[in-house]
Order: sequence, then structure tokens, then C-alpha cells
Amino acid sequence: MTMCIRAVVAAAIVAIAAPVLAAEPSPEGAKAYIIWPGDGTVIKGGKFWLRMGLVNMGVAPAGVEKPETGHHHLIIDADLPPLDEPIPNDSNHLHFGKGQTEVRIELPPGTHTLQMLLGDANHIPHNPPVQSEKITIVVP
Amino acid sequence: MRLLISAIALTLLVAGAATVSAGTTKRDPAAELYIGWPNNGEVIKKRTIRVWFGMRNMGVAPAGIDVENTGHHHLIIDAELPPFDEPIPNDEHHLHFGKGQTETVIELAPGKHTLQLIMGDKDHVPHDPPLYSKKITITVK
Repeated sequence: MTMCIRAVVAAAIVAIAAPVLAAEPSPEGAKAYIIWPGDGTVIKGGKFWLRMGLVNMGVAPAGVEKPETGHHHLIIDADLPPLDEPIPNDSNHLHFGKGQTEVRIELPPGTHTLQMLLGDANHIPHNPPVQSEKITIVVP
Repeated sequence: MRLLISAIALTLLVAGAATVSAGTTKRDPAAELYIGWPNNGEVIKKRTIRVWFGMRNMGVAPAGIDVENTGHHHLIIDAELPPFDEPIPNDEHHLHFGKGQTETVIELAPGKHTLQLIMGDKDHVPHDPPLYSKKITITVK
């Protein structure tokens, strides 16, 4: 009986904790896409402005809790991170917490992958997540 | 002499007026705003047109949100730039994107049309200095 109560208490704690971590719902039809460069683009010198596109949703800086908004993240040469926790912040996961929609990128010669992922006020992907297709570009 | 003083006073007045002819929200002087698509001079065979908004060195925030160096987009259709020291009008010639949208789909009647973007601060007032795109002309067939 004691154990049963403990289990109920534990379940209740999880239930209380869960809403704090729960991701923002994304609006229906929300879609992220890389406007430029296109998949397969060859970029001499490896320096370019990348433009981030968003359909049926708005951009807001990190920390701003506003329904149907989020901020951009660009994943370079990596797979999607776990979708139920804050997006990592490192050289493979760039954050645009100031509401930016374009970024100047510089990549070394080679083949690189690029993918966008929206994060909510707390940098957690939405539910369902709003991500672009992963594209490949080549720096000769 | 009196004339000279009058001239100086007038100059000061004009200078004074100039400083209030923009909003008060500062922004990065390097910020740029442009219409990503359509291009100037584009001839479009569809009535519905997807317009995307390009901006550099500045961020997007929904209306009402006070974050440094951010604003929200406004699309001016077939009209001149509005006054810079008051909220941008909200009508069919001045579309507001107060939810932080960065693109839209508009429907235009056949003929020539002009499109221009201008950023508004949290209160829909242009920044200091105001940030607006080049005005483009498109033709809808």
C-alpha cells in the first residue's frame, strides 16, 4: 500500500513537472524551409548568406512566450537533436535567439549538410516539431 | 543681422523637426530590408503571389514585444511610405505582420502594382532611422 501511494505521488510529481517542460504546440500547416541555398548548390569560397523561410508561423526572439511563434536554429553537419529537450548550442547548432531570419555562414571545403529546426521560448522544438528538409551543399 | 538670426532660428527649427520625424526605437544602422520575391519588374501570371521578406542584421519580434534591434514587417501595396513618426496605418494598402510572419500570400488584380516593406517597432512606429526596402513594381497578367 505504501509503495502504491509512493507510485501515485511519483506519478503526480511527473504530471506536475511535465507541463513545465512541454513544448509549445505548433500551428497547423507550419513549415520551415531553407530559402537559399538550394539542395546541391555549389558555393565557391564557402561564404554565403543563408535565408530561413517559415510558413504559417511567426518569429519571436528566445524567451518570448507567444503562441504560434518560435526562433530559428540551423543544424550544420549533424542530425536532428532530441526533440523533447533544449536544442544544443554549439558550432553544429546555431541559435538565432534575436529573431534573425538570415545568417552569414562560412564553411570549409567539402560536403556539408544544413537543416533548420524551430525552437520555442525555451529553445525546445515544438509539438509537432517544425523543421526543414536537410539539404547538402558543396564547397569546392 | 536680424535676418541672419531668423535664418539660424529657422534652421534650428527644421533640425528640431527632423529629429522627431522618425520613431524613437533605435536599430542596428547596418540593418537591411528587401523583398526576397518577387523581383522588381516581375511579370506574374497568377493572381495569388507569395512574397517573402528579407532582413539582415536585425531580428523579427511580434508586435508588442520590446526586444532590442527587432521589429515586425509591414507590406505597403500601391501606396507611398507613411509618416515615420506615427504608427503605420492598418488598411488594405498597409498589411501588418504583427505575429512575426516573414512571408505572406497576397492576391492582386491584373495590372501594375508597387510593393515595399517597412519595419515597425513594438508600437507599429518605424525605427530611428526608419528601415524600409526598395519599392518594386510588378505586373499581374
